Amino acid sequence: MNIDLDKMLAKVRSSQWALVDIDWEAPGAELITPEQWPKLKAFMSDLMWIEHVGARGFAAMAKKAPNETLKQLYIYFHAEEQRHANTEMALMRRWGMLDGEEIPEPNINLRLVIQWLDQYSDDMPLEVLGSVIPMLEIALDGALCKFLLDTVNDPVCHQAFARINDDESRHLGVGFHVLEMQGHGKLYQMALKAVATTLNPKLMLGILAYLPLLNRMRDNIVTMGLKEESLYSAMQKYERIGGRTAAGRRNPWFQIISRHGRLVVNRKHFYHRPVDALVRLTDHYPRRLLRPVPTWVKQLTYKTTA
Amino acid sequence: MSQNTVVKKLAARRSGAVKSNAAPADVLIVGAGFAGLGTAIRLLAAGVDNIVILERGDEVGGTWRDNSYPGAACDIPSNLYSFSFAQNPQWSRGYSGSGEILGYIHHLVDHYGLRRLIRFGHTVTDLAFDAGQGLWSASIAGGKPVSARSAVMAQGPLSNASFPDIAGIERFKGHKIHSARWDHGYDFSGKRVAVIGTGASAVQIIPELVKQASQLKVFQRTPAWVLPRMDYTAPDWSKAVFSRVPTTQSLVRGAMFWAHESMALGMIWNTPMTALLQRISSGFLRRQVKDAWMRRQLTPDFRIGCKRVLMSSDYYRALQRDNCELITWPIATLSENGIRTSEGLEHRVDCIVFATGFDVSRSGTPFPVTGLDGRKLNQEWARGAQAYKSVNIAGYPNLFMTFGPNSGPGHNSALVYMESQIDYIVRGIRTILQQDLKMLDVRADAQLGYNKGIQKRLSRTNWNSGCKSWYLTEDGFNATMYPGFATQFRRQMKTFSSRDYLAL
Repeated sequence: MNIDLDKMLAKVRSSQWALVDIDWEAPGAELITPEQWPKLKAFMSDLMWIEHVGARGFAAMAKKAPNETLKQLYIYFHAEEQRHANTEMALMRRWGMLDGEEIPEPNINLRLVIQWLDQYSDDMPLEVLGSVIPMLEIALDGALCKFLLDTVNDPVCHQAFARINDDESRHLGVGFHVLEMQGHGKLYQMALKAVATTLNPKLMLGILAYLPLLNRMRDNIVTMGLKEESLYSAMQKYERIGGRTAAGRRNPWFQIISRHGRLVVNRKHFYHRPVDALVRLTDHYPRRLLRPVPTWVKQLTYKTTA
Repeated sequence: MSQNTVVKKLAARRSGAVKSNAAPADVLIVGAGFAGLGTAIRLLAAGVDNIVILERGDEVGGTWRDNSYPGAACDIPSNLYSFSFAQNPQWSRGYSGSGEILGYIHHLVDHYGLRRLIRFGHTVTDLAFDAGQGLWSASIAGGKPVSARSAVMAQGPLSNASFPDIAGIERFKGHKIHSARWDHGYDFSGKRVAVIGTGASAVQIIPELVKQASQLKVFQRTPAWVLPRMDYTAPDWSKAVFSRVPTTQSLVRGAMFWAHESMALGMIWNTPMTALLQRISSGFLRRQVKDAWMRRQLTPDFRIGCKRVLMSSDYYRALQRDNCELITWPIATLSENGIRTSEGLEHRVDCIVFATGFDVSRSGTPFPVTGLDGRKLNQEWARGAQAYKSVNIAGYPNLFMTFGPNSGPGHNSALVYMESQIDYIVRGIRTILQQDLKMLDVRADAQLGYNKGIQKRLSRTNWNSGCKSWYLTEDGFNATMYPGFATQFRRQMKTFSSRDYLAL
């Protein structure tokens, strides 16, 4: 996927929208059924947090961007993911799912990922985050958002997600472009660098936080009625698009993440035993060991004006 | 043109038959700021007194007349941010405010009797050289042209300011103020105020506005390196000593000069001192700002010196006041009620302060300048401005500039550089007058050679290390900064090499 980053930046700049562009009082909120409501509340909360975590990932990538255009794109994507999280929070408020002014509580795995992002994401090389983010984006875009729009009839929700999906398609375009960009170079050098990066204890901690989060999210959304297969087909899409070109396939991080994707979609694989155990283990993670919630989290808001 | 024609035209010029129907002056100076006034003072001292200063405003002072925003002050110590030939023992602070600096400029005007030379309300719209007569003619908006045997463009690089090109700026219905055109009639108390920009003006405005506004939102695009400003109230005894024994002030000035000169080692080039300066700045940030995310927002990702280093001891503290918020999301557009940022929020405000800097002309001229054979300076400079020693341009005889291409300092007082330029200009003008030259034009090859050297040296500096700054054109060409110590600049300006010029 070869795109002109300068044109993409111009497109991004001209496609900005704000929460005030949406009429949050328009009719349609009543279309959420009482049966849907509790599941939807949990789903939206997870979705919102995933967007927010993605936002922080883009913030870290902006620091590592190899050129000014890409840096600017990541700065915008950081803000746009935050806008998505804010929009989803505004939808939750519209549906009466917020407890006053409170931000929904993230699950423990999200808390651990937030903590890791806060402490270490800025130290990660671009190729790591640049390969993981498209995977999360494609899973969100391909599975979660589609599921939401299939099951929720509120037109305001559709209106909001039409805008969100437009943004996400640009994020994915750039994401796969960068994935391929990083597949250029000598293979042995890239492989050696990838091995060295994997041995970085900060990345190991990140992997330990990321793996149970994926499995927990899978469990949560399956509980909500999303077919596991649609999540898996979205993850396979990552492998299909990312592996379309030789450069994409040569990127060791694409190989690592797509192979990991294969493990995740194979429920019978042994991989799930330790990871599911980790999910259960994290339930018992002592809350007192958690660091205070970073202030970037406090920037989330359902408000349209400030 | 035949020799005969030249002689006839020269004779005509001397007899006063000029285009403007007025006797040409020896020198016309555009601008009555520090540079224009300084040039006039030194010319007078050199015995040149047929001078006309054309000033578009109705008062002297240039940048310091225009920049009267709350907190406006110099960020070089006043003892160094003043002319060495007109030191002021009465500076009340280490870093004086704009009012006091403007007072100093007024003192210069009165002390040296410059007011008689100044024509206020004279906006130059065009400057053209008449090769036949050897005269520069300045067209004046709504007025008669002014001619002179030599011209000094001293309008300054920071003299034009306009609202930035932000989407939706025309839609905002609240109050708009530009930092360089402050609205002293606007009452900020109880108002929701936004400041766009976090550069040199903003870090001075924000600590003052936060005391008045009910809510202050600071919109930052790129954080800058900030170093503490060691400001102090000058004690009476030091003023008394400086007054009675001026040498002591010169000694202090000398010490300050060398202290700043040493900063070049870290700011201009990437040396171990660069890392040390960054560590000092980071340490200052860590000490002042407790929140890790805010520190991240305020940490630059370019090398110190690449952009202008800011000096402020109260900026970080102001940002952390309860009524202040730092916003680093990109601005999407301005709306009727405020500023919409890309994270989806509309920030509603009563007033927006644009601390967005100046329209620095790096590849053009503030007004058309026509040289020999009708050549246009803005066309020649379209791909980056070039001059000889920052002062002369080949093909534009008898024209001099202050703060021309590649004369900007990043680490020392602008006035130190300015003085060297002024003295060089005075020598050039005296040469024209004493030798009764019609034209003194720098050789194109000398200019080319000089610029090759400058650009080669610039490529090794922090300014050209990859960040985007107002020092560079869109193409990354650096026509702004001088790549060296002030001492080097002074030394190069001390020699007036006549073999680099064509004299007629």
